[in-house]
Amino acid sequence: MNKHDGDTGKPLLELRNLSLSFHRQKQVAVDRVSLKIAAGNTLGLIGASGAGKSSIARAILRLIKPDSGEALFKGKNIFRMNPQELKSTRQRIQLVFQDPSASLSPGRTVEQTLLEPLQHFAIGDANYRQEKTLQILDTVGLDQSALRRYPHQFSSGQQQRIAIARALVTNPELLIADEAVSSLDVSIQSQILQLIQRLQKDFGITFLFISHDLAVIRQIADDVAVMYKGQLLEQSPADQFFSEPTHPYSKTLLAFATGKTPKSWQGDKWFLERNRRSAENSSTCVFAEFCPDKMPRCEQLEPAMLEIQHKNQHASGSHCVKCHLYDEVKTNEH
Amino acid sequence: MTTPALKVTDLSVWFETESGRIPVVDRISFTINAGDATGLVGESGCGKTMTAMAILGLLPASGVSVESAGIEVNGKDIFNLNARQTRAVLGRDIAMIFQQPATALDPVFTMGQQISAVYRRHAGGSKQHIREAMLDALESVGFSQAEDIADAYPHQLSGGMRQLAMIALATVCKPAVIIADEPTTALDNSTRTLILQQLERLRTLHKTAILFISHDLNVVRQICRDVIVMYCGRLVEKTDCPSLFIQARHPYSAGLLSCIPQISATRPTPISSIPGQVPVLTDLPPGCHFAPRCTRVEARCRKSVPELDDKNGSGAACFRPL
Amino acid sequence: MTRDIWQRLKSDRYGMSGLIVVTIFAILALCVWSGLLGQDWAKVSGSPFESASAAHWFGTNLLGEDILQRTLFGTATAFEVGLMVTICSTLLGTVLGGLSGWYSHGWLDEVILWLKGVLDSIPFYLFAAAVAFALQGSPWAMHLAMIVTFWTTTARIIRGEVMRIKQREFIEAARAIGLPGLITVFRHVLPNTFHILLVQGTIVFVAAINTEVILSFLGLGIQDGVSWGLMLAESSQEVLGGHFGNFIAAASSLFLLLMGFNLLADALQDALNTRGEFT
Repeated sequence: MNKHDGDTGKPLLELRNLSLSFHRQKQVAVDRVSLKIAAGNTLGLIGASGAGKSSIARAILRLIKPDSGEALFKGKNIFRMNPQELKSTRQRIQLVFQDPSASLSPGRTVEQTLLEPLQHFAIGDANYRQEKTLQILDTVGLDQSALRRYPHQFSSGQQQRIAIARALVTNPELLIADEAVSSLDVSIQSQILQLIQRLQKDFGITFLFISHDLAVIRQIADDVAVMYKGQLLEQSPADQFFSEPTHPYSKTLLAFATGKTPKSWQGDKWFLERNRRSAENSSTCVFAEFCPDKMPRCEQLEPAMLEIQHKNQHASGSHCVKCHLYDEVKTNEH
Repeated sequence: MTTPALKVTDLSVWFETESGRIPVVDRISFTINAGDATGLVGESGCGKTMTAMAILGLLPASGVSVESAGIEVNGKDIFNLNARQTRAVLGRDIAMIFQQPATALDPVFTMGQQISAVYRRHAGGSKQHIREAMLDALESVGFSQAEDIADAYPHQLSGGMRQLAMIALATVCKPAVIIADEPTTALDNSTRTLILQQLERLRTLHKTAILFISHDLNVVRQICRDVIVMYCGRLVEKTDCPSLFIQARHPYSAGLLSCIPQISATRPTPISSIPGQVPVLTDLPPGCHFAPRCTRVEARCRKSVPELDDKNGSGAACFRPL
Repeated sequence: MTRDIWQRLKSDRYGMSGLIVVTIFAILALCVWSGLLGQDWAKVSGSPFESASAAHWFGTNLLGEDILQRTLFGTATAFEVGLMVTICSTLLGTVLGGLSGWYSHGWLDEVILWLKGVLDSIPFYLFAAAVAFALQGSPWAMHLAMIVTFWTTTARIIRGEVMRIKQREFIEAARAIGLPGLITVFRHVLPNTFHILLVQGTIVFVAAINTEVILSFLGLGIQDGVSWGLMLAESSQEVLGGHFGNFIAAASSLFLLLMGFNLLADALQDALNTRGEFT
């Protein structure tokens, strides 16, 4: 498989003010999210369930219709593409799901599953496709004999490898992994993470890795973006995030993940409001209610996304945060 | 020495298939004292849920056979009971918290109705008394608005709340032993902390013995004193938590620990993993089940089964422990 | 996969006996179709109302026709009606139900649901009579009436299944690469409904034969040839005069075949139910 060269300058994927809501339930799933992923980078998208992460993944591939905003792939807006451009884009952006046994078609053999994208996108001829399926199986660490078998004959770790193989068969540039290792046992998870690391290193694939597990994100992400109730609260390089997170919510998340109860803990009230917000409230900070560092301003005005400059700027992404605490520190507004 | 709250001796479970008997749980023995929590750790398919179901007598009668030298709760045997006797014991002396609160709760009854039903069955009393016990159970797991929760249906509660409600359901009759099967697996970190706090309260305040089943060693470490590790139906290591994390003695336990991703401020070390895969139950390797994947394997590992020697309270089933 | 299902089916004694019975009848039907048996169903080979003898195992009917011959021919008729109605109505129900479920809550779904509702509200036997009248006594009127009304049950079940399956992630995966809806439905969704269709098919078969019996009583049944239903209709007058030949032959054949199908259907349902596996 060819290695993708990083395209310096333009991000591979950019979301601008993406908003999405579920009209039936009148709930906002994604609220004006903007983020950038540079080619060859891995962005870890973190947040509790219901925060809107999966909705973003599906919106990018036009599985759900967004309310507003843009998703730019190599500079072109996915939502405005004509069918031809869209088809070509879908070839380059692939999705890996959380539950491997549910994401593979039960009545199709592995070979049929791997060939389907190649046939649909009319990639190569019959010979090429044969070769490609064998090559891909090798890449993900499965034996040739897998081709004749059905998904239910494999363990969940193997099934996830098949799902990843299916995603890789079209030579994608961007892989969106939606909680792809969350339902796997820890020893199998580590094997899949190793595979992902190999894909990052050897093939230069860009990843949008969605997870609620900070430890997993730490292993493979170059940058981290944090979502809460549909809003993006922080995006920063991984090293920065894990040594000194910026946003108070990020600090809380990190504290919980490392087994320490943060000072903001308020018992069961914490998750009573975990659900998505209704479309109303936009004059307060979305985290104000539970924030340990709340100021009066936080309940009057929604903070803007501010970029934080560093003297020793990391090569991988920008560092921005949506919090009033940093109003004075701002040098640029998004 | 006081009577242990839960004592399991040589518990074995087999699946009866046309091609023969498949061992699913192979001679598991352990003891939990009142007020202690023991973690039962292993990956999918290792037999941990089977063990729990066997202890509770919840396995189907056909196609499965269970044998044991004894399962005792506070000294009382609960293994050799008939169906009616088993039903009397479940919920009163020993209760289970299931993995998926969404499916373990009946969607057409409110939480209050479900919890009251359990209490009514084992303790009974006037309607007033039952309602009080039910609200008390809900309050004791941390719900400040117990009445609201009692009137809610399971689907109206969030995942964490459902799990807490399940704990209330399991503890309303104040059982001596609780088996919690992956209670925090489907939950976020923050909710997990809450559930663990509740289990901790049960342990310290009510002296409930807890068998905490999980594949997540980090979670087990937070509330369990002892830990037992299972692989392919066998107990491979038994020790206390701090010791396991300092130095696991069985290669599988050590391998498992090294796979766990860590959060660190500095760039993490490359991920390590255990090579190979867990064998299928119908095709278990002879001798030590872990031999094909073990880096310390010798000839005798493939021929004979290393036994777990826990005379000093801890041990590893290995011929060459670390 | 099919091997496991076959193993499970084999171990179900009732199911296997049902399968054997059905197979025997099917072979008889084949023999009739290929001209080996039952060809003399209209031949007057004896005197009226002869009792059972070596020459006529079930005796003869009012016209002196051999009842055994007629019973054998009736087997072929039963299978012909059953198979035709089952295959056509199942196909129709699957396609319409599949489209309805895939495009659920859309205009196509509304139209199909409306059609279903209309057809379900028409009293069936009235409808059959109307069709017979409209087609001027064509022998296919009965089949048509049944096909056009029986598809609704299959469609309803398939619609529900499709709506359920379409939520599964492997369907999302197909949509994520932009696979056209129709291809997704026929390649990924419907094949996962086969186990339901198989069981439903056996139920429709039984319903078709039963319906034919009643239609024959009403004179709307088989027009060219003989069926058990027709024989039963004939026998309703005959038994008053003490001639049970027709009745015994037709009723016992019906009972055996339908019982066999029912046992087979139950066993199939168990064998195909792989979800209930204890893990």
